[in-house]
Amino acid sequence: MKMRDIVRRAGRSLKQAKARTLLTSLAIAVGAFALTLTIAAGQGARQYADKLIGSNVNPQALFIVKDETIFSPTATNAGLREYNADDTVLSDGSAIKQLTQKDIDALSKRKDLENIEPAYNLTMNYLTVEGSDKKYTSSLGAYGATILSDTAAGTLPALGTQIKDDEVVMPEDFASTLGKKPSELIGKKLTLTVAKAAAPPTEDEIAQIVATEGTAGLAKLAKGETKEVVLTIKAIKKKSATALTASTSLEVSNNQARQIAEYTTQGTNEYQKYFAVSALAKDSKPDDVKAALKNDGYTAQTAKDLQGVIFAVVNTIQGIVVGFAIVALIASVFGIINTQYISVLERTQQIGLMKALGMRGRDVARLFRYEAAWIGFLGGIIGAGGATILGTSLNPWITKTFSLGDGNTILIFEPLPIVALIISLMIIAVIAGYLPARKAAKLDPIEALRTE
Amino acid sequence: MIEVKHLTKTYGKKNNIFTALDDVTFTIPDGASVAIIGKSGSGKSTLMHAMSGLDRPQQGEVIVDGEDILKLKKKAVDHFRATQMSFIFQSFFVQANESCFDNVGLPLEIASVASKERRQRIIEALEAVELGDKIKSKAKNLSGGQKQRLAIARAIVNKPKILFADEPTGNLDSTTGDTIEDLLFSYTKKNKTTLIIVTHDPDLASKCDIEIRIKDGKIEAINEHKKAPTKHATLGRIQ
Ligand SMILES: Nc1ncnc2c1ncn2[C@@H]1O[C@H](COP(=O)(O)OP(=O)(O)OP(=O)(O)O)[C@@H](O)[C@H]1O
Ligand SMILES: [Mg+2]
Repeated sequence: MKMRDIVRRAGRSLKQAKARTLLTSLAIAVGAFALTLTIAAGQGARQYADKLIGSNVNPQALFIVKDETIFSPTATNAGLREYNADDTVLSDGSAIKQLTQKDIDALSKRKDLENIEPAYNLTMNYLTVEGSDKKYTSSLGAYGATILSDTAAGTLPALGTQIKDDEVVMPEDFASTLGKKPSELIGKKLTLTVAKAAAPPTEDEIAQIVATEGTAGLAKLAKGETKEVVLTIKAIKKKSATALTASTSLEVSNNQARQIAEYTTQGTNEYQKYFAVSALAKDSKPDDVKAALKNDGYTAQTAKDLQGVIFAVVNTIQGIVVGFAIVALIASVFGIINTQYISVLERTQQIGLMKALGMRGRDVARLFRYEAAWIGFLGGIIGAGGATILGTSLNPWITKTFSLGDGNTILIFEPLPIVALIISLMIIAVIAGYLPARKAAKLDPIEALRTE
Repeated sequence: MIEVKHLTKTYGKKNNIFTALDDVTFTIPDGASVAIIGKSGSGKSTLMHAMSGLDRPQQGEVIVDGEDILKLKKKAVDHFRATQMSFIFQSFFVQANESCFDNVGLPLEIASVASKERRQRIIEALEAVELGDKIKSKAKNLSGGQKQRLAIARAIVNKPKILFADEPTGNLDSTTGDTIEDLLFSYTKKNKTTLIIVTHDPDLASKCDIEIRIKDGKIEAINEHKKAPTKHATLGRIQ
């Protein structure tokens, strides 16, 4: 028997039991609906993450550390370890290997790296803005020249160029806290007060200061030394839906950051120690540089690795929803088995007749398998179609509600995965229809024709 | 020619054995009309199933044109039935929800006849049983006699060499039954088709060339009606 004729007969049989066919395929449709939405959401999330990373991280960027445990949350350095003055000891007693100035110098000499910027650990006591005595605090960071952000006011230097050492960039949020419009703040002076770490004074120092300045000098010594850094507000960074970093920190030039860091850590263990360094791969692939760095005892993460981390989160969430969809599909599999068994029973006579007329058992099985495939196809079309229509119409609302930024859609429906999904559903349906089809194929025509 | 030799069919096991066919032997020449007649439970249907390869008796041979169909592989038997044999049943077994066209098309589909050729042959068959105007009607909307005529159209559409009919008129009133009988006889005589009718109606049996009487699975008598078959109905008489 020709395949086309079997497919047509299968379709006709289903049409004769419209309600049953529809109800059975609806069970699959539920699974197809959930899966289509999940696939669309995963696709959307990945594209969104790509965009997010693209607008925050230079693809050539490398994040270099000396201690590989920083990138592997499961590994720790807890336990008894030999003391190393270069390590920083965490509250749980574990220690992290830090990069020293020697490492920075070594990295700077490399031909495959450029724009080496240590992650300075910057702290301030407080800041004031011209025109008010009110003191504020905020986090402080170094200006990243490898990514250009949009500004709400003022202008930023061209990509790859640092701001001047007496300039500062602030996020849009700060302006509203200060009660000013962004444009009003441009050119205003911002004064940072930073404190030198109070290293325990030596006996000689104490004796000397008491001798020259008396007890007042001693108090000053105990309190520690501070310094004021006066900066001009260069630009206000615009709040962006896709900007991850730097939206909550005050940013100073790289040089200024080093000066502040060195001032605040002078005389302490932390002086010229950095837990990480960011750099750009120069004239080579970040992955190659990463491998080269590994040989020299450094651990690096590339922009792609960061993407991997975000994708891993997306995949996990997707996995959970897929799990639920699969439960729905398993339920629908039993629906198909049940329906097809009933169908075989109802059509015992028809099967008997077909076999008496010389239809091969194999073809009878195919007839029932194709019917199952039709059910899978119908369910897939209903589910995927419904999800696409619903998702497409909900997209603008989702984008608005979660302020994803214009042009970002979180549900992306692509034809290929949907077609693949429908084909898989048809295969699942065929597998579900296997046992009923076999029963039909094995039916004895004599007995089948005896049933009145 | 169909030669049936020492056909024995038993049901059940050791203690509970039942012999439905007991050493049945006879020969049917090509183009003959044969009645298998006997009481209910005598083994008529069982014999027909064995002769058509639907059933596999424990012993014996069914030689059709020199080939023992009981020794053929299942696939070959199926092919044999699809191309050389046809069936008509007491309760029609037409597919109620399908059109007359699709009902008659089934044997051609099974025999993998190209769809172009199919159409022509289906229409011819339906016209032969005077259902030419019902091509698109659903089978469930036909009367009993029309249903059996549809079944005949389905049986003749693949131009079989052997046509089996198990109580073809059993479910019909006598006038309609006569029409069906006439139709069967005129078609098979015209096309030299061997007709094998299972019946317990002596009138119908007497219209056949050969009458095989069967009792408790054994052949009781084989009567050959040498006289020329009674006047054949013309198609025009079909109601
Ligand atoms: N599968 C089976 N198992 C056991 N016995 C069977 C089976 N099929 C048929 N028989 C028996 O074989 C005998 C012959 O059955 P068969 O159907 O051939 O009778 P029949 O002559 O066609 O009767 P009817 O005129 O009522 O159709 C009967 O006694 C029946 O009970
Ligand atoms: Mg019978």
